[in-house]
Order: sequence, then structure tokens, then C-alpha cells
Amino acid sequence: MGLLSIFLVTLLINNIVLTRFIGLCSYFGISSNLRNSAMMGMAVTFVAVSSSAVTWFINHFLLTPFGIQYMRIVAFILVIASFVQLVEIIMRKTMPRFYSAFGIYLPLITVNCAILAVNLINFEEGYSLPASLVNGLATGLGYTLAIVLLAGIRERLAYEELPRSLQGAPIAFIAAGLLALSFQGFAGIGG
Amino acid sequence: MAEERPNLRWEAEKGILRKNPVFVILLGLCPFLAISKSVEDAIWMTLAFGFVLLGSCLVTSFSRRWIPKNVRIPIFVVVISSFVTVTELIIRAYSPTLREHLGIFLPLITVNCIVLGRVEAFSSKRSVLESLADACGMTAGFGLAIVSISFVRELLGSGGLSLFGRSLVLLSQPVSGFLLSPGGFLVMGGMLALLKKLGVI
Amino acid sequence: MKAFKPVLALTLTCVIWGLILGYVHKMTEPRIEEAERREREAKVGEIFPGCQFREENGIFYCFRDNQLVGRAVEVETKGYGGAIKVLVGINPDNTVRGVRVLSHSETKGIGSRATEPSYLSQFENLGWGDLAFKPQGKVEAVTGATITSRAILEAVREALTRG
Repeated sequence: MGLLSIFLVTLLINNIVLTRFIGLCSYFGISSNLRNSAMMGMAVTFVAVSSSAVTWFINHFLLTPFGIQYMRIVAFILVIASFVQLVEIIMRKTMPRFYSAFGIYLPLITVNCAILAVNLINFEEGYSLPASLVNGLATGLGYTLAIVLLAGIRERLAYEELPRSLQGAPIAFIAAGLLALSFQGFAGIGG
Repeated sequence: MAEERPNLRWEAEKGILRKNPVFVILLGLCPFLAISKSVEDAIWMTLAFGFVLLGSCLVTSFSRRWIPKNVRIPIFVVVISSFVTVTELIIRAYSPTLREHLGIFLPLITVNCIVLGRVEAFSSKRSVLESLADACGMTAGFGLAIVSISFVRELLGSGGLSLFGRSLVLLSQPVSGFLLSPGGFLVMGGMLALLKKLGVI
Repeated sequence: MKAFKPVLALTLTCVIWGLILGYVHKMTEPRIEEAERREREAKVGEIFPGCQFREENGIFYCFRDNQLVGRAVEVETKGYGGAIKVLVGINPDNTVRGVRVLSHSETKGIGSRATEPSYLSQFENLGWGDLAFKPQGKVEAVTGATITSRAILEAVREALTRG
């Protein structure tokens, strides 16, 4: 599958949040604020790409040669957690101002389903290193797109007078549902 | 001063409604919306989830005195991901089709916020019995949530229910949109609104 | 010494669980292979009932009373929603005996209709020359599910070239 194809399919047609339902926990927690959502999206994209690279190497040089692919769940999540921890340490030392704005999102990324998912998908689809990186990028951007769109909607909804039973989580889900519906329109492209 | 006897029943019951992990705390959503297309899948997902949650809570509660605070999260992660791996191997040995059916959401239990949340907030700090009760309650709450959503989606989306080999067809004109992703979000939104209206949450 | 304890705890945890997982893997590996083989044979048995199978290079050769009755080939192709695994039963004269879809992620109610036995039965007894959509061939696609139908057709064609 061509790299461009992977990119477009993962970004739009098979959007990780709106179509595949992955990455939802933080999705509904963060998306009430547009700025936070954008920050979270960037962080997710960064970790998605870098972890894709690291897990590719781990798979290629450790898991497969020793035949211990069944350990991949443990290995991948440890890689992700360690990587995020590392980024946090580096960021705290070298960019303290950026860290104070950005830093709280980092632990949340460790448990972001989308990150673990993209690494598992790279493994299952047998993607090469370039393909894994592209998939990571597209997944991160797809997540960002979905969360920013929803945040935009939710910020506007905050000014509306909604019935009590719809306020908060219910309307967020309904908005997400309508967003997902519009993304279904991409379905015919690319095949 | 005598130590207050832990109220196990209370710990277990809170997970079902008052502190339902999905409907109230809005955790563990990933597998929730994806696997809720059929009641049968939902039941299997609950079993897998329950196994991981119970196992992880048991182990972390049992060894809580030996887990240093500053390295506890990685240790929790190793324990949880190990239980998930074991679950995956067992399910594959039982039915490879089921394993494929659950898809990527089986390994994603590893980062299910409910599991990590309960381990970090509860079972690493409380006794084994209390942790077990809490885990049971949370599993029941999760199961209740996912099965009820699946019930609606499967019924409206495919016209009937299909459980463990037996089928029951009720609607002749199902709306397949319920089985797709927008339908999942909308049903969840509707369910939450309904529960809110009824004062349940 | 104080810094040592966390490292020790983490390392010990990893080692213990690594050993447990290794053990579970060892115990389940034969069972997993057995279960996968059983499921595959059940599917092949749907196309070739009452046969003895011998597998070679991923192709199931079916014998009845030591006579070669046909072969079953598993092909993976890309459908609309993801990979589709198709099992094609082929007669000795290279005509299609039967087609079954083993797994798919096609849209329920639309693409999934192309994976049902009622749709797949049209492939029976077709030869290489018939394997194209009408009017060139004899295969009819599912309306509104062109991609899925095409994927399955491609799979059947691919299967005939194997073994």
C-alpha cells in the first residue's frame, strides 16, 4: 500500500477516533477547551511518530529474532511509558516554560489508546519503517483533527441553553456522533 | 481503637450505579463503543476485562507494601499488560475467531483507564478483600453499561439479537446506521441523556 | 541504597512476569495451533465434506478414499473495511467448488452481503474465463458494494492461480 494511501486512509477514511473509536478517554475529557485540545493533539502526534519508530526497531531486532512476539503488549507499553517519561524529563530541563504549559498532557498520552493502537497496528500490518512513521503521523494528525473539531463545536455549545439532561457528556457524544457522520462521507474515496 | 470493618458490599455496589466507571466517570470508552455492536461480543469483552481488572487488583493489593511509590506506575503497567497478554493467549487457544473478532480492543485493555485508575486509586492502597469487591463492582458496572448499549445497537441496527448460536429476529427494517460509528456515539449520548433525566447519574 | 530499591522492585517485577508469560505462552502454544487448525479444517470441511486433508504450503489438499477431490486455498485480499480472508475450494479441473469468507470487516448490511454464502454460491462451477463481472463474465456484484464484491472476485481469481 502506497505511503500516501496509508496517510490519507488513516487520516480521514479510517479516522482513529471518529471511525475506529480509539483514543476516546482523553477525547471527551479534553475537548471542552479548544486550546488544550490543540496542545494535546500535537503531543499525541509527536509521541505517535516517535513511538512508531522505536517499536519498529524493537520488533525488528528483539521480538521477531527471538520469537517472543507475544511479549509485544508489555514491550510496547513500556516503551511508550518510558519514552513519555524521558520527554517529560528533557522538556523540564531544557524548555521549562513550554513544560509548564504542556507538561500535564504527557502522562495522559501514555494511556491514550491511540498511541498503543498505532504501534500495534504497525506490527499487525507488517509495516516497514517508513510506513510505520507515516501511519504514526497520520494517526496523530487524525486524532488532532477530530479533537480540535469537537472542541470547536463544544466551545460554541457552551453558550447555548441546553436542557439539563443534555448538558455536558450527553451533548458531547451527540456532537461527536454528528462529526463522525460527516466523516463517513470520506468513505468512498480511495477504496 | 478497633479498626472499622471494611464494608465490602458497599465497595462492590458502588461500581454498578453510583460510580459506574463508564456512565458516571466516563472511563474505558475505547473498547466500549467499538465492541458494543453485538451483545455476544459485549459479554466476551466484559469477561476479558473483568479477568484483567480482578487479576491486576488482586496482585497489586497483595503486594502493595512492597511497591515503592516512585516506581509504582511502571510496575502497575507491567502487571496489567501481563494480565492482558495472558488473556489474549487464553482466548486464542479457546477460539481464534473470537480473538479476531475482538480485534485490537483486546490488547487495548492495557491502557483502559478503568483498570489503571482502579489500581492506582484503590487496590494499591486497600486490602485484598476490599480491592476484590471494588473490582467486581467495577466489572459489573462496565458489563452493565456495555451490554445495555449493545442491546440497543444490535436490536436497532441488525434487527434482532444473535447470542451464542441462537438468533432472534424482531425488526424487519433495521437501521444499519446504529452499527456504524456515528450510531455508537449517538446511542451513547442518548443513553447518558436518558440516565441523567431519570436522575440515575 | 535508597535509590536502589525502586530499580530492584521494577526489575524483579519484569523478571517475574516475564517468566510467567513465558510459561503461559509455552502452555498455550500447542493449544493455539490446534484451535487454529481445527477452525480452518472446519471451514474447508464446509466446501469439501467428508474429506481427509493434507496441508502443504498453506494449501489444503482434500482426499476421499485416497483420491484427490480438490484443493482449498486461503487468500487474503483488501476489502473496503480492511483485510478479507477468503477460502476457495477448487475442483481438479480448476473450476470453483465453493467459496467461503473466513473473516472480514466489511460494512454490515452492505459490503457484508458479498460475504454471505447465498452470494458466494454464484461462484460454484465457474471456470477461469467466467471470473469477471457481467457482461464479460458471469459474476454479479452486490449493488452498492462494488469494492467488497471486487475484492472477493480478485481473491477467487488469485486462488485459482495457486497450487
